[in-house]
Amino acid sequence: MMNRAIINFNKSILDQIHNRSLELLQECGIRFPSTKALEIFKSRDFRVDGQTVYFEEKDIVEALETVPSNFTIEARNPEKNICIGGGEYMMAPGYGPPFIIETSGEKRNATLEDVHTFCKLVQTSTCLDFNSSIVVQPNDVPTETAHLDILIGTILLTDKPLMGSTSSEVAALDSLKLAEKIWGNTKKPVMISLVDSLSPLQYSDESIEALMVYATAGQPVIIHSSCSLGSTGPITIAGSLVISNATTLAGICLTQLLNPGTPIVYGLGGSPTEMRTGGYVNASPEDAKHTAIVTALGRYYGFPCRSQGALTESFCLDYQAGMESAMMMTTAALSGVDVSLHTCGTYGSMLAMSFEKFIADEDLCGSLKKLMKPVEFSEEAFAMDLIKELGTSGNYLMQNHTMKRCRTEFFEPVLSTRAIHTKWQQMELREMDRRAGKILKERLSSYEKPDIDPTLERDLVRYAEQRKINSSKQLS
Amino acid sequence: MATQDIFNAVLAFDEDTVKAKTQVELDGGTDIGAILNDGLISAMDEVGERFSAGELFVPEMLMAAQAMKAGLKILKPHLSAGQSKSKGVVVIGTVKGDLHDIGKNLVSMMMEGAGFEVVDLGVDVESETFVKTAAEKSADVIALSALLTTTMPSMESTVKAVKEAGMATRTIIGGAPVTQAFADQIGADGYSADAPGAVKLVKQLVA
Repeated sequence: MMNRAIINFNKSILDQIHNRSLELLQECGIRFPSTKALEIFKSRDFRVDGQTVYFEEKDIVEALETVPSNFTIEARNPEKNICIGGGEYMMAPGYGPPFIIETSGEKRNATLEDVHTFCKLVQTSTCLDFNSSIVVQPNDVPTETAHLDILIGTILLTDKPLMGSTSSEVAALDSLKLAEKIWGNTKKPVMISLVDSLSPLQYSDESIEALMVYATAGQPVIIHSSCSLGSTGPITIAGSLVISNATTLAGICLTQLLNPGTPIVYGLGGSPTEMRTGGYVNASPEDAKHTAIVTALGRYYGFPCRSQGALTESFCLDYQAGMESAMMMTTAALSGVDVSLHTCGTYGSMLAMSFEKFIADEDLCGSLKKLMKPVEFSEEAFAMDLIKELGTSGNYLMQNHTMKRCRTEFFEPVLSTRAIHTKWQQMELREMDRRAGKILKERLSSYEKPDIDPTLERDLVRYAEQRKINSSKQLS
Repeated sequence: MATQDIFNAVLAFDEDTVKAKTQVELDGGTDIGAILNDGLISAMDEVGERFSAGELFVPEMLMAAQAMKAGLKILKPHLSAGQSKSKGVVVIGTVKGDLHDIGKNLVSMMMEGAGFEVVDLGVDVESETFVKTAAEKSADVIALSALLTTTMPSMESTVKAVKEAGMATRTIIGGAPVTQAFADQIGADGYSADAPGAVKLVKQLVA
């Protein structure tokens, strides 16, 4: 029988990936270039050679036991709290691009004002569940303190859950200080963060020390490892899975050593190297396959898991952008991924964001959320009485059953057109990017800043400003 | 045309044949300059052209460069002072704070293949290290790589340090977030979007 399933893996394959990962952890180890991390491992009698830490099976098994299967992140507005690992697919927008691509195709540096605009879009989005900590990397503020500008903007302009910064240990501590001003000294998850490993088989000192800050505080961490197939890892998916799984498991182990029960989101990825240039390709069937397998591995371990989002290599709102984004997101949705970053707005290998693509991706995300909703099989949904009553002659449009549900039963696209050809020909804005631009304006003009206690707002802003002054003093 | 066999073997990424044919030509008394220029270096020029055109893939280009270097190793002891003189000295590295080296390694390999002496300082390289090494090696060009927007300022500080040191060494930059506009802004002498372009750029700068 032909096997076309990319979603259902048999357990023996997952066992193989796990066992081979353990083999790498025992024989090659993982490099942690951080004295603080190495001290933790040494104090627990791990074998450490230079900056490389070796793991035994029992270390990993013990760590896996304490990772929770789900957790809730509190939002500033409790109605917007999100449960990760509870069955829903949670989505956040782009993460990290330094550029904005305009509809003209022009590329420009992203600014803090762009961060603010994206925050307003997240706040007014019906499909995005939480914020990114670097929706774009602003170029007009100092790099060392950009996390403060971004976080303050995000906290004040939205009341959805936050991501903390992992650009350095200091940035992580700043993130927690700001969270503390909102939620007090809490152990409840109020801020999730993303720690990316380096490939192959290592972490950077900045990211691992940020991870330690969050784990110690009991705040959830997405630990994600990926490689470029054929350049920073093996060219084959099987090899890539083993190398990334080993690295992610080592990071998870460190969090559980520091604070057993620290909530984790498990992430692996793998993208082909563009063999003509040595560059990095995100949107690809190979990356999508990683998404399917990482979900299977997440279930195997009992962790919530993360995948990439609506990625594309395109730089405009064309067929390629839609096709690639839909392939990546649909695979994630159907595989059962719990969390995705980059779900709205990303262009060109995650190097740029676009406001118009953001609007288009919202239609994609919204339709997938609808696709994933279980079909209702209630008495009312079967509508047996109505079917019998109308027989072959009925007009369902005239029935209360239809009337009651006509605005809620179907997914209603905001951007996509469903007009007949004549109407479409008459449309003033026939091109998708121009229609998206119009929707964008409407969205931003309807935006309302969420309520916040003025004392808290002053306190948050004062902290950030003070830290920026101190930081510039330290630098000078 | 026996040097053509060497040329062909480089383009077939066949290190063993490059070595064997180079040895045969050397033993047979073929002009060493012809083996070097018509066989090995012109093969790498062709590799660069085919790579730029998208016909060759990166691993193939790297294997060709490796095959070329194997032939060069056999020739080296026999080269005259003039023949062994490189086309120029390039000091290359990924700037402070940045650990990404794939692009930098490609550029490094292609520059070597094109006949330049390349001093590769690796990743996370301080401005002072670039300046000091370039002075020691009398480098013609310093090539700076960065993948992160957060490390692009290190390019600016390195270019500035080179100028402040009063050196004639030219600076070029490259990497995914880097642009010609950024090169102009920080006063670098050149920018290239890819490795073969970087080789052409350096050839122009040292001409």
